[in-house]
Amino acid sequence: MASPQPKIKSKVRCVDGEVGEIVHVIADPLSLDVSHIVVRANGTERQVPVSAIGAIRGESVELTCNAAQFSGFPELKRQDYVSSKEVEIPHLENRIHVEPGELLVPFPELEKNCARRSFFARFINVIGALIGLPLVWPVLRYIMKPMYVPYDNHWIKIGNISKIRTDDVGVQYIFKKSFKDSVLQREEDKNHWVIKASPETLKKIYPHGDIPFYDEKGEVIWVNKQTIPYVVFSGKCPHLGCGYKWRSHKTRGQVFLCPCHLSIYDAAGTVLDGPAPRPLDVLPIKVSASGDIEVIDVEYKAGRKEQIRIA
Amino acid sequence: MNGLLQKVYDFVDERIDLKTLEAKMMNEPIKGGSRWAYVFGSCLLFIFIMQAITGILLMFYYIPSADHAYASTQYVIHEVDYGWFILSYHFWGSSAMVVMVFAHMSQVFLWGAYKKPREMIWLVGLVLFVIVMAFGFTGYLLPWDQRAYWATTVGVEIMDKTPIVGDFLARFLKGGPTPGQMTLSRFFVIHVMILPAALMGLAGLHLFFFRSAGPAGPFRGAPEELKAKTDFFFPRQVWKDIVAMATVFMAICTLAFIEPVQLLEQATPDPGDYHPEPEWYFLFLFQMLRLKVFSGELGQFVAGVAIPGAFLLLLAALPFIDRSPERNIFKRPVALLSWTVVMIGILVLTVSAILNREFLE
Repeated sequence: MASPQPKIKSKVRCVDGEVGEIVHVIADPLSLDVSHIVVRANGTERQVPVSAIGAIRGESVELTCNAAQFSGFPELKRQDYVSSKEVEIPHLENRIHVEPGELLVPFPELEKNCARRSFFARFINVIGALIGLPLVWPVLRYIMKPMYVPYDNHWIKIGNISKIRTDDVGVQYIFKKSFKDSVLQREEDKNHWVIKASPETLKKIYPHGDIPFYDEKGEVIWVNKQTIPYVVFSGKCPHLGCGYKWRSHKTRGQVFLCPCHLSIYDAAGTVLDGPAPRPLDVLPIKVSASGDIEVIDVEYKAGRKEQIRIA
Repeated sequence: MNGLLQKVYDFVDERIDLKTLEAKMMNEPIKGGSRWAYVFGSCLLFIFIMQAITGILLMFYYIPSADHAYASTQYVIHEVDYGWFILSYHFWGSSAMVVMVFAHMSQVFLWGAYKKPREMIWLVGLVLFVIVMAFGFTGYLLPWDQRAYWATTVGVEIMDKTPIVGDFLARFLKGGPTPGQMTLSRFFVIHVMILPAALMGLAGLHLFFFRSAGPAGPFRGAPEELKAKTDFFFPRQVWKDIVAMATVFMAICTLAFIEPVQLLEQATPDPGDYHPEPEWYFLFLFQMLRLKVFSGELGQFVAGVAIPGAFLLLLAALPFIDRSPERNIFKRPVALLSWTVVMIGILVLTVSAILNREFLE
């Protein structure tokens, strides 16, 4: 530092005696040159140019004027200045050795009395919204493209009834399903369960008679006749979509049991125990003269009391 | 520092005030002095950085397609030099992250550090907690094996139970009515782009708020005593942090060596002999859904959505409900009891989920 800088709280003396102490220092925000000191004397803050400083000795600043001349310096217009804490000034502390916050810098001329500040603020937000809002719908549509697709109502061959030996016993049919998955042609292993139902079981499966199946328009695409003893249950557990198994239970004998959340169903798909909200889902089934089983791979939303078709 | 390095340092310092920046980062006064209890936040940052590094490395070989995700992950494990280690580190790192989040949140809770004026840090922290869980959930699908497929299938079905937005949310995540390529693409982009960006931004904010409000310090002790024990972040706390980080690093490496990642069969809607189960930190939720009281449509909503949602909301409201300035955990019986009950609840549900495995064999 070339010459000493005035310090906050330094006593200020005129040629004819002490007048007060420094409460602020004013600097130019670009050059960082100190332009004024602000002296509080008798409760009034006056702005004294540095040119009026004769000497700085430690904590004491000596002015070249007298007390009467000092009273002629203008009062500080605080509103024309802003604390250095609220302005971004690079390398401030390297150049000016005063407490931050005590240092004032003048408001730029262009910013004084700028009545349009709030207008600018609003207009900036409006322009931002004008850029953003038109994008909302296209982006939403873009992301939603694959979310709602038509149901797949194709019949798929899953196996032959010759595999089934006993009534009311779940038999798993694992089959390959080929399908277009976005741009990929894929093949997945899926599984459904088929039972040859005894008359009593059949009655439990079809309590209200034949079961119709619908497409998305609500039109009937197929009706399962209650007289056909072969019934196919979707391999997807109606609780939360896991894969259940036909297995023996300690107390209930042979049941459908889901290992995920321990839902238990009997051969008719009725819930015996566990958290499942509805019975196993019956799928459209067609059995050919040669015994080939064909199904429509209908998929219902899991976890609902009623069946809501999703695929 | 040798001559050239010093010159470079001075060059940078002259322009961006590096010394002050360094000093400000390191000279954070820690009321009551450094402690081992304060290492969890730093450890989380360390684990995240390691997850980012190993994650980026995994992306050199991983192909996010239903046709190739499984094969490319197997390739990383079996063909790429040290691929098994990078993948296993990433896998165990995610568990470490969850453990550390629990430790961090517990510490803040027990120390009463969420109270005024630190509410904002706590709220951002809760969002970070949700992000960490979302990381675990989305990352789990990427290897595209049976474990991955079923955890996702069930997880998304649970979200489907959210009222009004559930169906949209589930379809949005699955990219369709059923899981497939679009699910993998979406989980991939969420896991490697959206969540990391969100986490980095919010972790920055978390730290910024932390530095603005200052550390809470111990919950008891006379002011003079605390003042006498106060030190700066550097060196004692940084030292404790780095020791903790090294311990975490060694623990993750050890787990990666002892229990490297092994894939099951490739994902398919037929589970075969596999009994679907989520990652261990979701087991308590999984077990809760098995309980008879949570059966049926309403039960699923309550266990899968309402309870976790209400719990998160309660945590968010905590600093505004619990306005007493008392921070000493031994003088906050409700807080201590609640924490104990929640921890025991999670522990009991997790253990019973593990015991149930045997019953299923």
